[in-house]
Amino acid sequence: MATVPPAGGPVTAREELRAGPETAHNAGRPKAKSGRSPLHRGENLFGWLFVSPSVAILVLFMVIPIFLALYVSFTNWSGLTSPFSHSVQLVGLTNYRTLITKPGLYQTDFATSIRDNFYFFLFTVPLQTALALWLANLVNSRFLRAKGFFRTAFYFPSVTSSIAITIVFIFLFQGNGVVDSILGWFGVKGPDWVYDQSGVFTNILNALGISSPGWGNHMFIGLSLWNWVAGPSVGMCVVIILLVWTTSGTFMLFFLAAMQTIGEEVDEASSIDGATPWERFRFVTLPLLRPALVLVVTLGFISTWQVFDQIVLLGPQNPTTITPSYFAYQVSFQDSNFGAGAAVAFLLFCLIIFLTLLQRRFVKEDLTK
Amino acid sequence: MKRWKAITGLGVSAALLAMSASAATASSPTKLVGKTRGVTLNFMIASSGPAETNADKAAAVAWGNSTGNKVNVINSSNLTLQLTEAFSGGTPPDVFYGETPMFESMAKNAQLLASGPLVDPASDFYSSLVQAYTYDHTFYCVPKDSSTLAIEINTAMWTAAGLTNANLPTTWAKLAYDAKALTKGHVTGLVMSNSLDRVGAFFAEAGGSYMNKSDTGFAFNSPQDVQALAYLQGLAKKGYLKFTPGDGVNAGWGGEALGTGLAAMTIEGNWIIGAMQSDYPKIPYEVVPMPAGPTGKHGTLVFTNCWGIAAASKYTAAAVSFVKSLASPAQQLKFANAFGVMPSRPAVAQEWATEHTTPIATGTETPNVSAFVQGDAYALPQVATVGFATVETAFNNEIDGLASANPQQMLSSMQTNAQALLQP
Repeated sequence: MATVPPAGGPVTAREELRAGPETAHNAGRPKAKSGRSPLHRGENLFGWLFVSPSVAILVLFMVIPIFLALYVSFTNWSGLTSPFSHSVQLVGLTNYRTLITKPGLYQTDFATSIRDNFYFFLFTVPLQTALALWLANLVNSRFLRAKGFFRTAFYFPSVTSSIAITIVFIFLFQGNGVVDSILGWFGVKGPDWVYDQSGVFTNILNALGISSPGWGNHMFIGLSLWNWVAGPSVGMCVVIILLVWTTSGTFMLFFLAAMQTIGEEVDEASSIDGATPWERFRFVTLPLLRPALVLVVTLGFISTWQVFDQIVLLGPQNPTTITPSYFAYQVSFQDSNFGAGAAVAFLLFCLIIFLTLLQRRFVKEDLTK
Repeated sequence: MKRWKAITGLGVSAALLAMSASAATASSPTKLVGKTRGVTLNFMIASSGPAETNADKAAAVAWGNSTGNKVNVINSSNLTLQLTEAFSGGTPPDVFYGETPMFESMAKNAQLLASGPLVDPASDFYSSLVQAYTYDHTFYCVPKDSSTLAIEINTAMWTAAGLTNANLPTTWAKLAYDAKALTKGHVTGLVMSNSLDRVGAFFAEAGGSYMNKSDTGFAFNSPQDVQALAYLQGLAKKGYLKFTPGDGVNAGWGGEALGTGLAAMTIEGNWIIGAMQSDYPKIPYEVVPMPAGPTGKHGTLVFTNCWGIAAASKYTAAAVSFVKSLASPAQQLKFANAFGVMPSRPAVAQEWATEHTTPIATGTETPNVSAFVQGDAYALPQVATVGFATVETAFNNEIDGLASANPQQMLSSMQTNAQALLQP
């Protein structure tokens, strides 16, 4: 069902890069003539022949499952029979309706998962991009010693198993765990991080004396407005910290690679022109990093909506950290309701496409300025 | 990419299915097929640990040797996932652990052989267990074992608080008194998991239930259920009762709370015995039955697995013979002694109870298990309605905040959500 988004990642990435290094790479070559010489006649056929294994794999493991999942989202398939057996009935838009318009548990749960994931996305993408950029700038510095060590150290969280890291985080953040003990030194009583369901924004508003005003009771897709503006739960903050820390290493590498294509003479020239280090970074390095920045943000947009393994580990019953991809899994396997599960995945797919298009639009407008 | 595996898996298996369209049609439920000698059965289990795995393997080898067959034991770490994949792929294991949450869905889709009466008559087993595996008046699958809830008490704390046998929590009033007396400093009198699978026992004690009398709908908003939740709320408000995890007790479940000395009493099933023996041998504890409610009614919950046989199996005759040996009285006693599950036959359970009567257990001792065994007679089984897991999760999420919640409202919304499952 949700097989589509990963394909989206590389494709967008490639398109973004097309404007950059690839064109530069091809620039020196003579242009191919429009009419093909006899020598190149078989090229087309061979081209297809060479790509056919990967095309076959893509069709078999991506295209067919996507269409099957789309079909399943319109059925009441239980997952225990063949999806084409006579016991499986087409139910039209029922699955989509129970998720979006029909009041009930699925509607509330789906809205909650979208909310939780939205705040996760809202905080993770800027934080991981900023941290990665800062780290890359740091390890790219000419004056830093033991660059290799620092590069490896910062990249390490990204190559470690996400399962192992998540388990370590659960131990660190458990009630009376390491983090709470350290907070205790400063006289702060830490929350029961992972299991704390309360939203960060509502906690702040409560502290300011605002609690559930009148407008907060209006319902919107199964959740009250007060619940919608609750912000990430304290439990979700742990996931945000975890994800920012683990992904920043990979993205640091992207930025580092891009930074190394910037010639030293550019830096020197700006220094001679009297630019301060900050101005150099802001007006020289950053604009030149634009393709890498777009790539990192795009990947961040997509991957934050697919977070799954950390969520599974944080506890299958943990209400503070439900994401649509986990919700799809839960509905499918726990409730034997693969139709609704596939519908969740497709709604998530549409959401990711929409957000990615939105992001690309903003980037384009910015470019024309 | 790992996150994709679970989700893509379903698409992929569906795709493969489409190509190998030879979907096995379910055979007639009562007609047994296949040879009974020289076959190899696939047996999928979800073991609680090495003790259970080895006991299952030994039982499989013993049956295989005596009947001239072979059994291939597959231990799954995620049974629901693996069984779903196997069933949708048309190649389910011949015999498997059937779990309550999946049972109704399997029966509905004719994936489960109605093997109950073929193995042994229903009257041989506890009726609460037979009821759990009956769908549409058909006894589908033989109960493998049972586990019931009881109260486990840290006896060191009990005596330190000046409590005696006269104070044992036989009624709600006494339980409240004990929980208050035992709450001191960082110790909470009573700690239990924040789950309907604990709280529900009090519904039964108040005279309530999950389903209505005629079993046609849910009855969560009954006055009895509300009374039970209000009673627990009273304890929670005063801090004598806390839930885990997430209610300020740093423990994953009741057994851990008892074992680490954060709880003086907890409510768990007989699976706690193994954990106390291996993880917390220093804690002395005793097991007493769940209290009686205001009307003197006893109540507890029962959890069970069954020996499922796939309707699509090519060797249902051999599979029934295998399950017969697994569910035999002698084999049940072996399982009970190997890893502490309770036999599903009253006669065998009584025999097992007479073997374990240590009043206060420490170290590797097994406590007096009669409290668990007697619960089997009146215990309430889990809800098997397809989709109930989500409804239960929504309710469980509210339990941590019970002290400041509205019990009537919590139960009414669960009633609405559960009742919605019954309407297509």
